[in-house]
Amino acid sequence: MIVVRQKPIDDILEMVARHKRVLILGCNTCSAVALAGGEKEVETLAELLRLATSRKGASIEFEGAVLQRQCEPEFIEELEEGGFDAFLSLGCGAGVALLSEKEDIPVYPGIDTLFIGASKGLANWQAECSACGECVLGETAGICPVTRCPKGIMNGPCGGVSDGQCELGDRDCAWVQIHERLEELGQDECITETHEPRDHSTKTLVREWDMSEPGERK
Amino acid sequence: MHSTRTTHDTRTGDERESRLFAPCRAACPVHIDVPGYLTAVAEGRFTDALEIVLERNPLPSVCGRVCLRPCEEGCRRCLLDDPVAVAHIKRAAADFGSYPTQQKARPRPETVAVVGSGPAGLTASADLAELGFQVTIYEQKPELGGMLRYGIPDYRLPDYALDRDIDYILSRGVEAVTDARVGADITLDELADANDAVLVTAGLQASRSLPIEGADLPEAIMALPFLEACARGEDVEVGKRVVVVGGGNVAMDVARAARRQGAEQVHVVCLEDEEEMPASDFEVEEARQEGVHVHCSWGPAQVVGDGTVCGLEAVRCTSVFDHEKRFAPKFDESVVQEFEADTVIFAIGQAPDIGDLGLECTERGVPEVDPTTLRTGTDKVYAAGDVVSGPTMIIDAIAAGHRAAASIARDLTGDGRMLADLDEENAVLGEVPETMSSKLETRRRLQMERLEIWEAVGSFDEVELGYTEYEAAREAQRCLGCTTGARLVKEKCAACLTGMRVCPHGAPHIKVGGYVYFDAEACNACGACASECPAQAIAIEGYSEEEMSRRIERQLVHHGMGTTLVFACGSAPVLPEIPGDDVRLLTTTCHLRVSERAVLEALREGASHVVFAGCVEATCRFPYARPIVTKRMKQIQATLAEIGMEDSFVVIGGADEEELAHL
Repeated sequence: MIVVRQKPIDDILEMVARHKRVLILGCNTCSAVALAGGEKEVETLAELLRLATSRKGASIEFEGAVLQRQCEPEFIEELEEGGFDAFLSLGCGAGVALLSEKEDIPVYPGIDTLFIGASKGLANWQAECSACGECVLGETAGICPVTRCPKGIMNGPCGGVSDGQCELGDRDCAWVQIHERLEELGQDECITETHEPRDHSTKTLVREWDMSEPGERK
Repeated sequence: MHSTRTTHDTRTGDERESRLFAPCRAACPVHIDVPGYLTAVAEGRFTDALEIVLERNPLPSVCGRVCLRPCEEGCRRCLLDDPVAVAHIKRAAADFGSYPTQQKARPRPETVAVVGSGPAGLTASADLAELGFQVTIYEQKPELGGMLRYGIPDYRLPDYALDRDIDYILSRGVEAVTDARVGADITLDELADANDAVLVTAGLQASRSLPIEGADLPEAIMALPFLEACARGEDVEVGKRVVVVGGGNVAMDVARAARRQGAEQVHVVCLEDEEEMPASDFEVEEARQEGVHVHCSWGPAQVVGDGTVCGLEAVRCTSVFDHEKRFAPKFDESVVQEFEADTVIFAIGQAPDIGDLGLECTERGVPEVDPTTLRTGTDKVYAAGDVVSGPTMIIDAIAAGHRAAASIARDLTGDGRMLADLDEENAVLGEVPETMSSKLETRRRLQMERLEIWEAVGSFDEVELGYTEYEAAREAQRCLGCTTGARLVKEKCAACLTGMRVCPHGAPHIKVGGYVYFDAEACNACGACASECPAQAIAIEGYSEEEMSRRIERQLVHHGMGTTLVFACGSAPVLPEIPGDDVRLLTTTCHLRVSERAVLEALREGASHVVFAGCVEATCRFPYARPIVTKRMKQIQATLAEIGMEDSFVVIGGADEEELAHL
């Protein structure tokens, strides 16, 4: 799922400062599961913004609502008119973008979209995927070099590795993990294979994915 | 929340699809929502608790004192330590809560006469009045209450406690005519002609006697007249030595009342052995503590005396019941004992005294009724309570009163919902699973303060002094919250699995299709899952963000500058003295139930400080949940720091001076 994180409150206050009536809009799919955009977070943020703005003498009204998914037009249509002059979205980038397209008032992101991740237990996620559009996990024992290696290199480890640690010093080297895991899986031959450089166009040039036209990739 | 077009299912309590009852509630003949009112008392909400009790029982002050409490036998805490003191807590709800004053139903034209004002009659009257009927009680004694007033001695049920309930019932619009014996002052036929229905709840007014030699001596008396004389405050001359014949709760009441009338030696003589004695264990124990001697397995042979009583001769009773469990006592007449006595009081049972009503009766003198509808053979006349069933518990009579009212209501209005509700089957929650019991701490029942024995036997003053408000809340905290725990609002669930990850008992499971469901047996309603759920898709009985908002608003409605709102843990034995002129206290089952949003709301509503008080390990009800609370406290501090309000939130465990200095 898409892992998100609430923005610092000062950044949010700055974005909404010129508005009078703001709807904070949660998203009950990825953002809710990431504990940043469900009904609870919407209500908590609304209360915090009310408190913060009233202390500054500003008069901005904050209301809250939650959509099942902000990245679906039909769910957005569920929204009832409420006289708002801005939305503060707690959905991922896709939600913010679709809301902006469908609504005629400004939409601000209340969260930062971090990565596609997997749960490591309560309130903890591991970044596992960067949506690069050219998946190599089959050759890298399920560990994504694009995501887990800060340089995103396709053949590693690089010279910065030391005792299995990345030179950044805050994580294990993805490529050392890939080699160890391939060995465990008995896929040693993959270790010596050289991967082609990544084709960045798969990410940067892709516009949409329309399954209604088989055989065509846009 | 601003609305979207999709709506969520927010039904609560009895509106739920299935009626899964906690064992306490299932064991109660009227199915009071016991966990519901224990939860309310645990949070110091006595009026809410009282209202919950009153939904099913119009006599909370009475039952809080003298109910034989079948609920407690069912308590799931029995397997861990002691059952929760359900009745004591009910008494506290009646002692400290306010009885409702608002009338619910619109008045209806139909009139109902109720004969007798014991628990069955009072209950039926309250129910019928609640439905809008014009109800008049006819009572032969000068005051209402029946055996509650004239049978149960004041040291167990004082008049003021009974009057609290009766005043409430009368306030619902019930009329009462006292000193009016139906059958003598007015006939049953006259009542039936003048009303749309008549309910006979006359109880058992006659004492059974024994056809033995000497039973007609002047000092050989009956239990009920003796108890009535005691209840009227009369001095009854019983002499120094009293023998009470009988082994039931009435015999215990008589024995203890005799002690209070000045008897120095009181001997209870009964046919049954210790095991078979019908009196409740605790009643026997309390009698013994007051110096009453209990002699089992003796059959009265004759009252000894020549013009005046001087003793009771008894023979050994070898068995009371035959192999079909019928009453058929056998004696060994070679084993004889004489109990010296100045007075012998027979407490061997009661019988109906309704000969002058003219009802069709069975051979045993009991009115014939249909067990479902409680209709008698006489048109428009119903009968319920002990007069029909023989001696039962007060709470059974209350149940019978409900049934009678439901049946009358159906016959007069055609609306059978109330009757159908009484007959609905309920599922009962099973035992505490090991996953839960292993994480629960032993916490013994809080004993209620009582008069010292020497004080108790010196007067008819109430022996049990009642919990303080704080003691009641503490005891209610022992409740395992059976059936009040987590419930999924499926439509809101994001299937994030947070609830599964925070539950210490493994109550949430994943269902095929990705839904989460909760195993009610493994849930003790701590609220960890509900408080952490990002979609607010988990409901807990008695707790919601909306309810918390209302409570905060109530506390801060007339706040001044510098109001401190204290969220106090209901489990903490002593709360620290919080400095400040305007300190408002809001007790909660656990700080888990106070969300970050609630704290922010309190500050926005004008509190200058919000305090979390009393979250200490030693008294914690949900120790496994403390890390979540601690994390939340840090989160609140971090959030407030972002807007420069970090000093507005203070956490106080005990009465730590350093912590208090922050205020």
